[in-house]
Amino acid sequence: MTYEAGLQALDPRNFSGPMWEQLTGMKSNVVELSNPDQYSKAVAEHIAGSGAYDVLDISPAWTPSLADGGVIAPLDDYIAKYMNPADLEDYHPLYKALPTYKGKIWGFFDDGDMFALYYRKDIFEDPKMVEAYQAKFNAKLAPPKTWEEYAQIAQFITDQMAPNVYGAGHFRKAGSPGNQFDFLQQYRANGGKLFGDDMKAGLASDAGVKTLQNMIAANAASIPGNNELDAVSLWAAFLTGKVAMIYSWPPSGRMAANYSQSATAINFIPQSQIAGKVGYAVVPGNPEHATGYNKALSADSANPEAAYLFMQWACSPPVSLARCMLPYALRDPYRISHFKSELYGALFPSAKEYLSNLNNSANVGLLDPIMPGAQDYFLSIDRMCTAVWAGADSKASLETAAAEWNETTDRLGVDSQKAFYTEFLKLPGATADNTVEKLGMAVTL
Amino acid sequence: MQHTATISRLKAAGAPPRLSGFAQWADRHFKWLLVAPAVLLILALSVYPLLFSLVVSFINYDFQVPGHAFVGLKNFERVVFDPVARWSLLLTAWLSGISVAIEFVLGLLVALTMVRSFPGRGVIMSILIVPLFISPVIVGQAWTLLLQRPFGPTNYILTQLLGQEVTIGWMTESPWLYVSLIVADVWQWTPFMFVILLAGLTAIPPNLYEAAELDGVNAWQAFWAITLPHLAPMMLLALTFRLLDAIRMFDTIFIMTGGGPGTRTYTASYYLYTVGFTQFHLSQATAGSWLFLVFTALVVMLLVRRLLKTEPV
Repeated sequence: MTYEAGLQALDPRNFSGPMWEQLTGMKSNVVELSNPDQYSKAVAEHIAGSGAYDVLDISPAWTPSLADGGVIAPLDDYIAKYMNPADLEDYHPLYKALPTYKGKIWGFFDDGDMFALYYRKDIFEDPKMVEAYQAKFNAKLAPPKTWEEYAQIAQFITDQMAPNVYGAGHFRKAGSPGNQFDFLQQYRANGGKLFGDDMKAGLASDAGVKTLQNMIAANAASIPGNNELDAVSLWAAFLTGKVAMIYSWPPSGRMAANYSQSATAINFIPQSQIAGKVGYAVVPGNPEHATGYNKALSADSANPEAAYLFMQWACSPPVSLARCMLPYALRDPYRISHFKSELYGALFPSAKEYLSNLNNSANVGLLDPIMPGAQDYFLSIDRMCTAVWAGADSKASLETAAAEWNETTDRLGVDSQKAFYTEFLKLPGATADNTVEKLGMAVTL
Repeated sequence: MQHTATISRLKAAGAPPRLSGFAQWADRHFKWLLVAPAVLLILALSVYPLLFSLVVSFINYDFQVPGHAFVGLKNFERVVFDPVARWSLLLTAWLSGISVAIEFVLGLLVALTMVRSFPGRGVIMSILIVPLFISPVIVGQAWTLLLQRPFGPTNYILTQLLGQEVTIGWMTESPWLYVSLIVADVWQWTPFMFVILLAGLTAIPPNLYEAAELDGVNAWQAFWAITLPHLAPMMLLALTFRLLDAIRMFDTIFIMTGGGPGTRTYTASYYLYTVGFTQFHLSQATAGSWLFLVFTALVVMLLVRRLLKTEPV
């Protein structure tokens, strides 16, 4: 099976792989790959017909390409034969539909990478800060509901507490990849459309300009070096108490509570100096579901049935819960039973609130575009954002990015891309107008 | 009769043994058989991939587009008309030129300082060449840790030294991001220049300097009249080798700037990597590699031709 190299791969190496072998006698071989190689190697081995892999760990965005390319196999027949239907219904609605493409199921969703807001409760509840905010803005100091409010609160905290604490921090370094996720969530929450009816990029719009302006304002209110941070550096800044608000992947909450750091594998992350002081909130507007992972069955597997059964077992409610609870693993809750789990809820004092917030975020969450060329579109956004942080004109940068998007669309075929995009729009969470909540499918714990 | 028989026996003994047809062929081509495995290995590992990459650059080899249709010069066209590709080539020339020039000057100065024996010379030399053995990825990471705000100490130290607050974005603000990349490269590769030039300096016969000294030549004149001409071939060799390596600059950029902001620190190698392994447009990346190879070959040809002509005066 393929797995992302590093911490991710410790789960099948140390936990699920050995346990599966103990239960079935089947040995597993974990092939660690960098994230881009999880796509390119799968395709290359398929072209070579090597049958090198049985189970593929893939980004949901790659599903259409890999399905149409014959690299992965549909699971519908196996699901009908082997799966308890209740296990499928246990997925949060945002994630349940993610491996679906052209009416077939092409994998099991396996990593709830939902962005959420993590903020310092002690600062937000400090009477002096509350009073000062009230006096300045005639409003209560509370987790922000809009992006304008977010930048305003960040600036307020920086003005009041810098250089000890800054209002916010973001991972804005080129390629990190916070820029693409952040832009996509804010842009769509601001009413921006990714593509028009003619498949021309919609980026160079008022929503695009507004999004970049909001992001620039947030950057200005943030910790010095904000634009040089990657995800790990941002965690370090938050955990050491230098930053009052961050929005990032779910491990942020576990690290802030010092739960993750109990594993030696992850001890490069500093100990949290803010444990017990962190509150959870939904990111203003609509949070991004930043990538995630699907387990997919390789179409060239020599043992497809056994491979499928491993996937089903690893993603089943109890096993997936145990995998999400591993302190060193980076798999995050995605099943309704995960969010409701008493076991998980007892991992650290605020774990129940943490799980509830992840569930609520998924109710209004947005999916990354799932279509061929996604990596080209993402790269253009990253280049655009970092150019703007370095002083380039917002409108001109949006136009450059839009031109790159159009070139990508032309290269892959306008009609073909339109068909993929139409499929994507059918998924809950594809736009701010069809979130799980707006479709009436919100999960209440 | 007996005499004749003896003579013919002697003749037969001196004649080469009678061989089968295959053995005769093998005997004639023995030298070729000896080199054949090496030639086949080179063909398989070097020529075949090279030819395959040439084929790939004329077809569609994009993981996202099914099939491998012949597209003529389309892949080359995409590279030539891509402003990012043109910028990356320009930056490569500019960045490698400046880095190598600084490394050369510093390497020469250090080599001139270290050519004479003094106490502790061995220890200092060992320390000086340490960066040469460090992986460029680690070098990039080390400099990131030193320069990155808010954790790196560089701005703090500069603030203390200058007495006013320094808030430079070493990896996001122009021109500082170029300065950072050049500093990291110079730190790692100056020892390479130093080692080669030191070898050249120690090879100059000392009697030339003794004779010059007797003639009343000062140090500066000796440098121009003796050191420089004798060191010239080594200088050109060091510059050629280093320049060839510098134009492939990738690792430190990957770690320190990620090619950003925007595409401001895309070198040719970083551009090709991005097109090939982030965007998966392998045929375009291959076509770009061939174009880059042509440019590189031109530079190499000029330098090697000059190197072959250079002889000590």
